[in-house]
Amino acid sequence: MLTSGPEPAAGPPPSGVGVVAKGVRRTFGPVEAVRGIDLTAAPGEVTALVGPNGAGKTTLLLVLATLLVPDAGEVRVAGFDPVREPDEVRARMGWSPDVFGLYDNLTGREYLEFVGEAYRLGRARARTRAGELLELARLPEFADRPVHTMSRGQKQRLGLARALVHEPQVLLLDEPASGLDPRSRVELRELLRHLAGTGTAVVVSSHLLGDLEELADRVVFVDRGATVGEHRLDQLPAGAQLRPWRIRALDNAALLVALDRHAYNHDGPHAGGVDVRLASDEAAAALLAGLIGDGVPVISCQPLGGALEAAYLQLTEQGR
Amino acid sequence: MTGAGIATVARQEFRLRIRAGRWKVLLGVFFAILLAFTALLRAGLGQLASDELPYKGTILYGGLMLFVLGLALLVVPALAAQSVNGDRERGTLATLQVTRLTAADITLGKFAAAWGTALVFLAMTFPLVAYAMTQGGVPLGRVIVVTVVLALLLGTVCAVSLWLSSVLSRTTTSGVLAYLAVFALTIGTLITFGLVTAVTTETYTASVGGVDCFPACDPGPRQTYTATRARTDRTWVLLAPNPFVVLADAAPQLPDERRDADDRSQIRARDLDPLGQIGGVVRGLRDTRLGEGRLQTDADSEPDAVWPTGLAINVALGTAALWLTTRRLRTPSRNLPKGQRVA
Ligand SMILES: Nc1ncnc2c1ncn2[C@@H]1O[C@H](COP(=O)(O)OP(=O)(O)OP(=O)(O)O)[C@@H](O)[C@H]1O
Ligand SMILES: [Mg+2]
Repeated sequence: MLTSGPEPAAGPPPSGVGVVAKGVRRTFGPVEAVRGIDLTAAPGEVTALVGPNGAGKTTLLLVLATLLVPDAGEVRVAGFDPVREPDEVRARMGWSPDVFGLYDNLTGREYLEFVGEAYRLGRARARTRAGELLELARLPEFADRPVHTMSRGQKQRLGLARALVHEPQVLLLDEPASGLDPRSRVELRELLRHLAGTGTAVVVSSHLLGDLEELADRVVFVDRGATVGEHRLDQLPAGAQLRPWRIRALDNAALLVALDRHAYNHDGPHAGGVDVRLASDEAAAALLAGLIGDGVPVISCQPLGGALEAAYLQLTEQGR
Repeated sequence: MTGAGIATVARQEFRLRIRAGRWKVLLGVFFAILLAFTALLRAGLGQLASDELPYKGTILYGGLMLFVLGLALLVVPALAAQSVNGDRERGTLATLQVTRLTAADITLGKFAAAWGTALVFLAMTFPLVAYAMTQGGVPLGRVIVVTVVLALLLGTVCAVSLWLSSVLSRTTTSGVLAYLAVFALTIGTLITFGLVTAVTTETYTASVGGVDCFPACDPGPRQTYTATRARTDRTWVLLAPNPFVVLADAAPQLPDERRDADDRSQIRARDLDPLGQIGGVVRGLRDTRLGEGRLQTDADSEPDAVWPTGLAINVALGTAALWLTTRRLRTPSRNLPKGQRVA
């Protein structure tokens, strides 16, 4: 067994737990799917993996999930090497792919019991665990109905339940929220926060930046197979370029006059209000003060798209 | 690899097969065809009175076993030929591979389910075999040996089909190739044997007369002539893995006895036995004394059996197929077949 020393309060996680990947590379024939991704995910935290289509997120998760051998790089999942000690990793890691991979003719309960046995939980434990997870995934009514009668979102939740069968320390989720209704997405966020709260290291790849903004502690940006940024969510790089802000006022005419007077370029007015491109939070505060000073009846002033989206656009735009 | 892991996979595969539903129909059709075959054969034999033809069971049983082997070879490739790549297509394979099931668990579990299903088909013959036994000339020992050999032959086909499904990414390709493999094993061995034997037929020179004249005579002039002979004593191995050859030759020889031991004109069960007849032919091919210019009929001892070699080739083929499948399923994987994603 590994003995973990005293945990540092901040900084990178100790190498005995969570996920550490350094300089991971993987090619498929001529295609360089991953050519230098670094990622660390600490226990108790949700780490978001974000990047454009084809950036290599799924490929990286396959490497972490003991399915693909990386061409190069140093990888530890729950403290073990997925290539040399896959069984140790599998006993501690849950993975949910971006395809469902369910058996249509089984009921939800049968399926989870089967997975439990595949994880060597033993019959009895597998049975109780299946019951718990059906509750957790809000699928109790599907316990005895076949999978093919489930909707897309219900299958997605069953797929997540599958990854949790053996109470893993590390959870790898590939686009778990796609196809979920808004309520299920909120519940998924709460579930993942809860799991992180119990010490699980959660890695989520997703394109739903709004969700991630509320869910994630850290974010790793990847683009064309390489890590282009790794940040805590509260320390995202301030956008160097202009970001759109949306201003609404009771009197659009007065708003437009005031904006013209202060020489701001603007889009609109349209149903949502008037859009102005600003360089920073400070610029927004100054504009707002000016408008109110002019007596414009402003109702709201908010950035369009979150800070995460702004950082994403900036980091993945380079060289495009 | 653990017994529990194999059982988990096998149980799951069985359940999915049963749920898929078409097996009852297929089993029903399979049995109906066997029943029709047996009934027709029995009716044909029924024309002959029982003192003319005392061992009807021998013919019934031998015919039925050759027929069931042929029919099973049409069904069994389908049982495993889409097992691995079908799971890959549905995305379920990777979800198994990330659990604590090993590659060998998955391979052997899938194999056990396919083979088990094949054995259920084989079990369909039991009532008909029992009927043949009531018709005389079918010893129980023979039934047991033939059943075991049939089971092993079907296992080979399952294992090879499973391997094909693990190396080919498309289920249609592996399905077609599994049938081609069965074709190669049955018709292919026959054709290869025939062609290679024809090519290796040799011309030899021999002489007659002028020797061993006893007590004393005019030996006359020595006559030399040339003739050809097929060296089947060397090429028989090509025919040995043929499932029909293995099955027929493995069936234990029926006892050399007549209903009435003193009446030499009476027919013996072994004279009627289709399995024994085929076995006799292939053993004759193997007989190495052929190479010395002897005729098979003047064999003074029983020629060597062909089936041990044939069955060993089959079992080795099946074992190799399972081993290669396990290697294919081992994760993390370094190489993926072209055009295949893990998940
Ligand atoms: N088995 C494979 N064979 C060939 N190319 C592959 C294979 N798997 C992935 N690729 C390529 O590698 C690159 C990265 O793919 P990957 O699936 O990891 O992207 P992703 O970041 O998950 O994208 P998305 O957001 O669309 O899911 C892509 O260009 C893809 O075409
Ligand atoms: Mg992906």
